[in-house]
Amino acid sequence: MKLTFLSLIGALAVLLAAMPLPAHHSFAATYMEDAQPTEIKGTLKSFRIQNPHSYIQIEDEKLTDKEGNPVRWVVEWGAAAQLATQNVSATTLKAGDKVVVTGAPGRNPEDFRLLMRTITRPADGWKWPVGNQTFR
Amino acid sequence: MKLLHTLPIFLSATLLVAQGPAGGRGGPGAAAAGPAATIDFSGMWTGNMQEDSMERGAGPELVDYAGFPINEAGRLWALSYDPSRLTSRFHQCDGYVAPYSVRSIGNTRVWEERDPKLQRLIAIHWYSQTFEGHRVFWMDGRPHPPAYAPHTWMGFSTGTFVGNTLRVETSHLKQGWLRRNGLPESDQATLVEFFTRHGDHITYTSVINDPVFLTEPSIKTTDFFRQPTDPGGWLFPCDDTEQVTGRAPDQVPNYLFGKHPFLEEHSSKYKLPLLGALGGAEGMYGEFEAKLKTATAAEARAKTQPSVGPSLTSRAVDPDPKNGEIHVLQVRGNVYMLVGDAGNVVVQTGDEGAFVVDTGGGKLTDKILAAINQLSSKPIRMIANTSFLPAYTSGNEKLKNAGSDPSVVGTFLAMAAPGAGSTASILSHENVVTRMNGSLGKPATPPGSWPIDTYIGDRLRKFHNGDSVELFHTPNAITDGDSFVHFRRADVIAAGDVFTTTQYPFIDVANGGSVQGEINALNAILARTVYEHSGEGGTLVVPGRGYLSDEHEVVEYRDMVAIIRDRVKAMIAGGASLAQVKAARVTADYDTRYGANTGAWTTDMFVEAVYNSLLKK
Repeated sequence: MKLTFLSLIGALAVLLAAMPLPAHHSFAATYMEDAQPTEIKGTLKSFRIQNPHSYIQIEDEKLTDKEGNPVRWVVEWGAAAQLATQNVSATTLKAGDKVVVTGAPGRNPEDFRLLMRTITRPADGWKWPVGNQTFR
Repeated sequence: MKLLHTLPIFLSATLLVAQGPAGGRGGPGAAAAGPAATIDFSGMWTGNMQEDSMERGAGPELVDYAGFPINEAGRLWALSYDPSRLTSRFHQCDGYVAPYSVRSIGNTRVWEERDPKLQRLIAIHWYSQTFEGHRVFWMDGRPHPPAYAPHTWMGFSTGTFVGNTLRVETSHLKQGWLRRNGLPESDQATLVEFFTRHGDHITYTSVINDPVFLTEPSIKTTDFFRQPTDPGGWLFPCDDTEQVTGRAPDQVPNYLFGKHPFLEEHSSKYKLPLLGALGGAEGMYGEFEAKLKTATAAEARAKTQPSVGPSLTSRAVDPDPKNGEIHVLQVRGNVYMLVGDAGNVVVQTGDEGAFVVDTGGGKLTDKILAAINQLSSKPIRMIANTSFLPAYTSGNEKLKNAGSDPSVVGTFLAMAAPGAGSTASILSHENVVTRMNGSLGKPATPPGSWPIDTYIGDRLRKFHNGDSVELFHTPNAITDGDSFVHFRRADVIAAGDVFTTTQYPFIDVANGGSVQGEINALNAILARTVYEHSGEGGTLVVPGRGYLSDEHEVVEYRDMVAIIRDRVKAMIAGGASLAQVKAARVTADYDTRYGANTGAWTTDMFVEAVYNSLLKK
């Protein structure tokens, strides 16, 4: 019993050491995680790798706003340290890259937000996640 | 193991009567240094993931308030919360308040601070990885700060040992979360905590008393396990960024009462009655099970709208001691805040003489002057008025005559205003003078109280005591002559009546005020603030009335005004009369914090001002 209890503590410690940093917000409250993922295609405008979570902005290749300007999506991704362990760094993506992203849609459609599920760059076949990579 | 299971129950029972710091503020609840025996909590600790797993993980779902004894205001505040609000630059790095920080994800490091000579315990530091929440439990018997002192995410804590348990009392918390799905905890909440160590295990119990959003204390227990190795990752830097582009600065995402688009998502998903998910004290007790069997959907739906009846009133502690004395608080460096005579007074000191912002309500002017003379060995040189309102200008003449302004001798001001220079100079927007001198047909104040150095544009600049001091005009906010004053080097803003922590904004429509101007004015302040870390500190903001604040209090206040504007605007668009808007209780989620049914500025008067100023547009 004692050994089992201590083992549990040890396992928890290891688990928490690798635990993702939480966003200030609640994912469940912010995104419709149970909904069908949204797919967008467009041009990457910026990539901010930061805490608590990183963000990329993508200009949609088709969708426009009321003024006729391309819609700009904001896609939430993992914390800097998490992405670093998954071979994603500040130089992995650059402005101008053509990318395809799928993600859980934000609850407010007018915000054009997604919670990252997958991203690919068709030009060279780069993609994330690979294997069981995640930031949840 | 048996003891571990029964102890929280025992503690919960005994803590039902636990109260926050006595009197809420001011120190009566501060603990004296405990008996010699103390328990060492030093080390690294991790919360039990199985408890509060939603909080420790990716976050709770919307409209899941069960288990919290919230009142109507708390429920309506949460139901109005659109999570998109956190995409605002001013919210992205908001920290967690202490009670939530303890229940959220991340590791904790604890260490003692002892007097190096006598080894007396001065403080216990409780540092949480998430948002770098650094709490200090003062063990040396010091009192809690006065009610006009700043609030922080971690609050101000004092501790004492009761047997083998560390008891901690916390006040001066910022507004934050009970849950991070929008369920609020107010800045009036106080916290009592009990930490009991059993070897490598801590049993933790928290008791939150929140007169604004709770009907009874919210009591939670959780457990911590000691970690033998350093998990690392102790830092939590946060940068804000553009998360939503193109949103107007006065837009604050919110759901109108009764219009929550995801109201039943959580309860449907888990096949729960909506009434149970809406929280409240009744849902915490066994009898509720029987009620659920007969509860109707209409009964649950009714709880998503303000109830019919009179407005509730503020349960907040008055930050002004109102004891006939002037109280001085050092804001930063050579800038001080004087509390006690209606509007707060700000004083900057230095070799060139005092620069004073506002002069109070006129009842304690002699004491204000005495306090300034204690702070400054040089006479008052300049006085800035943020408004013409009596709470901010009634001491003008006396303070002016006590000072002098050699800088105007020989200038056009001296020619335009005989005697200028032999007294302090009063600065303001031009519309302050037109309101004070009777040119608009209203009774004039004595000429000696009128500003002489005025501006009509957007800014007046002075370089004084080594600091750049700027007055910024905020058109048609509280009145048509409001300014806020920014001491750039000290990075202190004197907000005037545009921002208070004590009441709904005193929008004086008859003198040019408007709700849209008020929102714009608050945004103008926010355009000049910079937080130090996790959305707090950095630029300090002295409210016209209330406790010393920073960006967070201003943005919460801005959000409130914008949300109430949206509600009134929607009702006007639907053809509602003023009486109908008042009856709808459009401020129901804020009334227990700011509401008043008597006095100079009631909730009804505020709603009427919002309604009328929107109609004027």
